[in-house]
Amino acid sequence: MRKPLIITLYLLFSILPLMADGEEEETGPRYTISGHIRDAGTGENLIGAAVMVEELNRGTVTNVYGFYSLSLSPGFYHLKISYIGYELQELAVNLNENRTYNLELKEDIQELAEVTIRSEGRQAHVRKPEMGVNKLPIKSIKRIPTLMGEVDVIKAIQLLPGVQASSEGASGFSVRGGNPDQNLILLDEATVYNASHLMGFFSIFNNDAIKDVTLYKGDIPADYGGRLSSLLDVRMKEGNLKKFSGSGGIGTISSRLTLEGPIIKDKTSFLVAGRRTYADLFLPFAKDPDVRDNTLFFYDLNLKLNHIFNEKNRLFLSSYMGQDVYANPFAKMAFGNQTYTLRWNHLFSARIFSNFTLLHSRYQYELGTPEGDANSFVWRSKMKDYSARADLNFYISPEYTLKFGLISTFHDFEPGNAFGTGEGSLFTEFILPTNYALENGVYVSAEQSAGERWNLRYGLRFSSFHNVGPGTVYNFDDDYQPIDSAVHGSGEVYHHFMGLEPRVAVSFMINDVSSVKSSYSRTRQYVHLAQNSTAGTPLDVWFPSTPNVNPQISDQVAIGYFRNLFNNLLEVSLEAYYKEIRNSIDFKDHANLLLNRFMEGEIRIGEATSYGLEFLLRKNDGRLNGWISYTYSKTTREVPEINNGNPYAAPYDRPHDIAIVGNFEISNRIWVSANWVYSTGLPVTFPTGRFEYMGNIAPVYSNRNAYRMPDYHRLDVSVSFGSKPKPDRKWHWDLNLSAYNAYGRKNAWTINFVQDEKDPNTTHAEMTYLFPIIPALTWNFRF
Amino acid sequence: MKSITTLKTIILIFAISISLWNCTERIDIELDSTYTRLVVEGFITNDTTAHWVRLSETSDYFHNETAPAVTGAEVTIDDGEQVHRLTESDTAKGWYLTSPDYHGMPGRTYTLVIRNVDIDEDGELEEYTASSTMKPVNPIDSIKIEWFDTFFSGYQVRVWAWDSPDPDWYAFKVWKNGVLVTDTLYELIVQNDEFFNGNYTYGIPSQFLSTDKPEEVVEVGDTITFEINGITEEYYGYVIEAQSQVFPQTPLFSGPPANIRTNFANGAIGFFEAYSVQYSSTIATADIVNGGKP
Repeated sequence: MRKPLIITLYLLFSILPLMADGEEEETGPRYTISGHIRDAGTGENLIGAAVMVEELNRGTVTNVYGFYSLSLSPGFYHLKISYIGYELQELAVNLNENRTYNLELKEDIQELAEVTIRSEGRQAHVRKPEMGVNKLPIKSIKRIPTLMGEVDVIKAIQLLPGVQASSEGASGFSVRGGNPDQNLILLDEATVYNASHLMGFFSIFNNDAIKDVTLYKGDIPADYGGRLSSLLDVRMKEGNLKKFSGSGGIGTISSRLTLEGPIIKDKTSFLVAGRRTYADLFLPFAKDPDVRDNTLFFYDLNLKLNHIFNEKNRLFLSSYMGQDVYANPFAKMAFGNQTYTLRWNHLFSARIFSNFTLLHSRYQYELGTPEGDANSFVWRSKMKDYSARADLNFYISPEYTLKFGLISTFHDFEPGNAFGTGEGSLFTEFILPTNYALENGVYVSAEQSAGERWNLRYGLRFSSFHNVGPGTVYNFDDDYQPIDSAVHGSGEVYHHFMGLEPRVAVSFMINDVSSVKSSYSRTRQYVHLAQNSTAGTPLDVWFPSTPNVNPQISDQVAIGYFRNLFNNLLEVSLEAYYKEIRNSIDFKDHANLLLNRFMEGEIRIGEATSYGLEFLLRKNDGRLNGWISYTYSKTTREVPEINNGNPYAAPYDRPHDIAIVGNFEISNRIWVSANWVYSTGLPVTFPTGRFEYMGNIAPVYSNRNAYRMPDYHRLDVSVSFGSKPKPDRKWHWDLNLSAYNAYGRKNAWTINFVQDEKDPNTTHAEMTYLFPIIPALTWNFRF
Repeated sequence: MKSITTLKTIILIFAISISLWNCTERIDIELDSTYTRLVVEGFITNDTTAHWVRLSETSDYFHNETAPAVTGAEVTIDDGEQVHRLTESDTAKGWYLTSPDYHGMPGRTYTLVIRNVDIDEDGELEEYTASSTMKPVNPIDSIKIEWFDTFFSGYQVRVWAWDSPDPDWYAFKVWKNGVLVTDTLYELIVQNDEFFNGNYTYGIPSQFLSTDKPEEVVEVGDTITFEINGITEEYYGYVIEAQSQVFPQTPLFSGPPANIRTNFANGAIGFFEAYSVQYSSTIATADIVNGGKP
């Protein structure tokens, strides 16, 4: 696979002279217009706001910190600054020296009217050399009806083409046929290892604390690596710099409250957001004592502080803490994530933006029995990441932006530690060896316009992974039986992996409203999740690449047609992709993945292939807005020791997948929303024969995944009634009534084959479904 | 019921808790047919009794009748010194018995050979073999039964015994007044000693008599006997796999379904196992039965 590298190098070298040409043509000096674009009401940085130079028909968009920079020849320019949902702002500049403009955009309250000016910013959809990227405005996420009325970022992205829930109601998702552990989920750049609450029915993201959500499902920018399939980049709000404000809600299962405001106006602000479920508060009233003695709740806490020292320096500190607790008289379980991010934005000059970040994230869980018995025990597992990263953006010209940076992460995996808790305990303490590893990434990437029609983005990432002692590596024979082990001392670096990850994308503008784009990307994944169930549990065992487990490598190519219709009112895209994964991880039949010293012996390595066609029609604003997505895809795996070496449907292969999401504003106080999803049933293995053994009927199975679950479809609806919008109104509220699975489709969650209790010779199939119609009422407020 | 089994139990309980708010109903599913395989269920123990081997055939999944018996087979067991020929039962079709004075010995390897059968009906006779080496098992010091009432009601059987310093695999069964009550794959409990090798068990709950089953209801004066088997690692794996495929599966905790292992080559399924046996009994006294029950 040297070809992609050669292509990348070829592109790099063919473009460098272009740059040089550009420089030579320059006569005289260039000056820079730069600054931040912010929301006028809250002071929040706007990510991806467009700054267009009318005279040049060129522009830029703000980066994730709201910063933009344009270096132009001296002259007189008109700038148009636009952002979806905000009023257009125009600015005339006489550029004869470097200038800083920090601009504040007003939220567009006239959004209801169809006549809203659809700015040039919308063209980005067509123009940007970016494929397989979906950005969801928080406002539209909030209107999507959900399970129990809990607004959920992850449930919203599952409605996009190429993205599917791993199972009914689950927070896990599969992107283009990949496994859920192949998604890099970042909250303010910190890795979130398990984004689920309550067995996955809710995600850890509290919508009130979130500003921006972007999903990269194909062409992951070179800035990020470590996962094969996707990057879900979630950014928390910074906290209102202008005035003290709050938002919250009382829902069917949980309540939320977010408070934010300036500590020093326009300089320092904070945000605190909390959420807790309260179903357990009612459990003591239950009639059934087995239910009464249960504990079941989760909570989330998001914190953020930021301070603007001056135009050139800003500091952010953010944190997430969440925990699920579940206990009954038999057993208790607790699990949770924590993330911490410290960031420093620094401007070296008007053209060089930098960000330095320190990160820590952890995930831990605990499972145990009540104390005091011979078989009482506790089992704990945790994993921790410590990272540092530096990113530099170099705005050379409106045609050329260069980015480079590096990241280094130290991983600490403690897969399991089980011990007895009673006096006179039966158990010997059981400790699985801790794994330490260092993961590094260095990248360079550039965005470039070549002529009027071509836009390119090309980058190269170099990643490396090092196993660090102390560590124990078991050696396995050809039958995966452990034969011996090698113990490595503290600090010893005993194994290395490294490789290049080229990422290239190009767009060609056919005309002002349509383009063709293509991309190629390679991703490498060094840490993996030991899981062979589809829905996922909190009992995650992440394991690093080691001498026994090679990194997974994915190569993906995509080509697409993008078009805006009706004066940029509608966005249409059609994308086709093909990807190949080498060293894809699956597990042997009857794999034992928990508390297993020789877990690596349960892994079976193979190859996976996925291809698909994704269609998206989207209308972002107006009284009726939403999208229609359709995906056709096919994902197969081939592992020598599984299914007799024959290819089989990957566990998340759903050939047809449709989502229709709509929101209609009946008036400025009442709006209705609905979404309908349809997808082919997941592949499944069913029995074809049976035999009797010890009084029970046991199955003889078909080939792996030879059958399909029944097709999945579901309609969710909601109607909301809000307070009357008035310009001077301080207190806003809305009441939302929703129904999940509105027509009561019984979607099979699992199908079991069971022996009849009365007639033991009879077997029948039994399907379990999770949700009938689930109505929910939520009251939201903000001030 | 400990370590991995305890873990599995806990996981099962979480799964049950989830099932409190889900719904189940019958569904019609069309399944393909598969070819017929020989199924063997056979045991040799160190008890002196008529040991048996049952031969049957697989059938389509919704066959809904007793498995077809395989009759007329020639079944022998070779214990390394002698070859015993089993005789086909007159009353139970497909059951082949040793003489009533037969007993196995720990340490010996037993080889089961089945001849004179034509399962695939191609006109040629087939031969199937499997072997198993009988492992020893430590005696039990004592047992107690104790009322238990969370999620399930009944009596748990607590066991005091030493685990040997060698790796062990166990199966646990319960008898009431001389009748085996944990007589199905569902009720059999198997356990390895990975987490307590060489330790004393301190009254670990190891089997269960459920009040939901009439034959397991305990009355004053009943003799409760706990049986421990020293089984092979392969048979332990077989039971774990078979149970995981027979118990309900959920997308949360279950891996993909997969065929259950066997120690027969040549396409037969099932298991032939040699294991050793120890027993310990207790009488259900009035204070246990009445003291426990509300």
